[in-house]
Amino acid sequence: MTFTAFAWKNLTRRPVRTMLTAGGVALAVAVAVSLGGFNLGYKRAIAGSIGQLGFQVMVMAKGCPYEAATMMLKGGTGLLYLPEDAHTKIKNDPDIAAITPIFIGIAEKQGSSISDTPSASSFTILSGVDEASFRVMKPWLAFKKGQGYEGGRWFAPDSTNEVVMGFEAAEYEQRKVGDVFYASVTPNGKTEPEMHTFKVSGVLERSGSQDDGTVFLPLKTAQKVFGREGQLTIIGIKLREFNGIRMREFEGRWMGIPEVQVVSLEQVKGALVSLVGTAQTMVAAVAVIAIIVAVIGVINAILMSVYERIGEIGIMKAVGAARNQIFRLIWTETLLICLGGAVAGCLLAVVTAGTTDAALRHLLNIGVTQGLVRITPGLLGTAVLGSVILGLLAGIWPARRAAGLHPVEAIRSIG
Amino acid sequence: MGGNVIISGRGLCRYYQRGSETVRALDGVDIDIRSGEAVCILGPSGSGKTTLINLLSALDAPTAGTLAIDGRRVDGLPEHELVTIRRGTLGYVFQEFHLIPTLTVAENVALPLLFLGKKPAQESLARVLDSVGLADRSSHLPKELSGGQMQRVAIGRALIIRPRVLIADEPTGNLDRQTGDTIFDLFLKAVREEGVALVLTTHNLALAERCDRTVTLEDGKVTAETTVSEKAAQPR
Repeated sequence: MTFTAFAWKNLTRRPVRTMLTAGGVALAVAVAVSLGGFNLGYKRAIAGSIGQLGFQVMVMAKGCPYEAATMMLKGGTGLLYLPEDAHTKIKNDPDIAAITPIFIGIAEKQGSSISDTPSASSFTILSGVDEASFRVMKPWLAFKKGQGYEGGRWFAPDSTNEVVMGFEAAEYEQRKVGDVFYASVTPNGKTEPEMHTFKVSGVLERSGSQDDGTVFLPLKTAQKVFGREGQLTIIGIKLREFNGIRMREFEGRWMGIPEVQVVSLEQVKGALVSLVGTAQTMVAAVAVIAIIVAVIGVINAILMSVYERIGEIGIMKAVGAARNQIFRLIWTETLLICLGGAVAGCLLAVVTAGTTDAALRHLLNIGVTQGLVRITPGLLGTAVLGSVILGLLAGIWPARRAAGLHPVEAIRSIG
Repeated sequence: MGGNVIISGRGLCRYYQRGSETVRALDGVDIDIRSGEAVCILGPSGSGKTTLINLLSALDAPTAGTLAIDGRRVDGLPEHELVTIRRGTLGYVFQEFHLIPTLTVAENVALPLLFLGKKPAQESLARVLDSVGLADRSSHLPKELSGGQMQRVAIGRALIIRPRVLIADEPTGNLDRQTGDTIFDLFLKAVREEGVALVLTTHNLALAERCDRTVTLEDGKVTAETTVSEKAAQPR
């Protein structure tokens, strides 16, 4: 028999208490790992989602640029519009490598959605794009292939009744190439919605970006459907050379256009990271509290276990156990609880990562498409190591109490 | 009768403070324990038997007097040195058995070896289990044993380190007479066959009769000491 086996047998004496104590550690570790995963994941997710917009600079109507950027990422209502002639003015700027005008509108899915459940999304993002410049901006977009998707293509630039559906939008609506897509739109200045019928000319492959949930149609058609001819939501721009100096120069040249602002997506990214960082601090506080409670729980459980076994500890000393051996035994028990709790907590964090991701996404509402929680082997290893260290610290006091017991007094306590 | 002196106590005192009162649990006891002899300590409750046992087994330190185990003065030694002396020389058996409930019979018997840092040799473990009549119960837990069997485990636990002195504090106190006699036979077997010294306390005069020597305590002092030859000479 080894000390570890002996310690394990001692822990099995009160299985419920051991399980509850280890459960407390597991919960704290799960929270800490999820937080760590969030810390690792969210910056990358924000950067990735912004990167998939395809441009570095946005020209948009004056207003809160971060709200607009979030809108670009996840869709929504309350969009502001800028005059289309801004595009005409800006597009010949020598620093521009690529530029694409985008119009975004929200269509209700009356008569089109196959799902009537209350939780089903009740609107679709319609994105009016200039197909040629949009494809330059997002060269990775490709059409889905296979049965029902043959002949997928972009709509003709002047088409009035064709749409290209993002992967998830098509999946949700169960639409394939050649199918009909209905959109109910309330045009600007009107109160009653108008039903529009389109034909699906192509379905895009999954891109892992906001494009997956979008339905694309020609820019002019979108402007007309929404009653906003001559208006855009944003102008996406990729600069030949993107850095702070170039960005300031570019901004300086065009900030004079009335009602228009130039926003760097780096700024947006920084703002979103900062916004999430605030939430992260709150979650970190919860994690710290959970860890403190777990450590106190471990100390309490081990102390109770020591007090219950004072007589036994006296006997062990009588049959030859030295102080350091009693210390080691109690310490090992603490370590086993913390190690078991840490492993269970890591498993819990991994298993619930998807749920945690969804919950954080719902809570933060920042509209990134990539995973917010990224749990890596290194993170799990750090969590287990941290638990072991905390376990060792938590075990010092109870182990010292046990090791310091006088054998005669301890044996006498048995009564 | 007896061989070398293994434990020697001179003027052993153990005082306790109870509030403002000083309790003289042991007050100037002289005692020698030799190898191969069985010494019984008799006396009424509160006479100092357990206190003396605790001193002789290096579990407690005398307030005054000297105590030598194997020729080495142990009074005043720090706990870590007393542990070294205990674990190599003394085997302890308690009235209440005090087995570890989560360990099997074999694991309880082998427990002192864990603290000695030795892996139990299956042969010696089997020998001890056999000697205490528990060879067929080695994988049982204490809760599955009778009182007599539990005391056998405790004796096995004391014998596994091949001690020079077996110290037993009322080892048959919780057993019926027949079981108590059987257990006592095990102690005497260790004394007669392995030359172990036995020090035990008991209220059972029949068992005391079977020891080589009896030491009677009253109020912390030795009031009588009788050897086997003196016992034989006494009229019955």
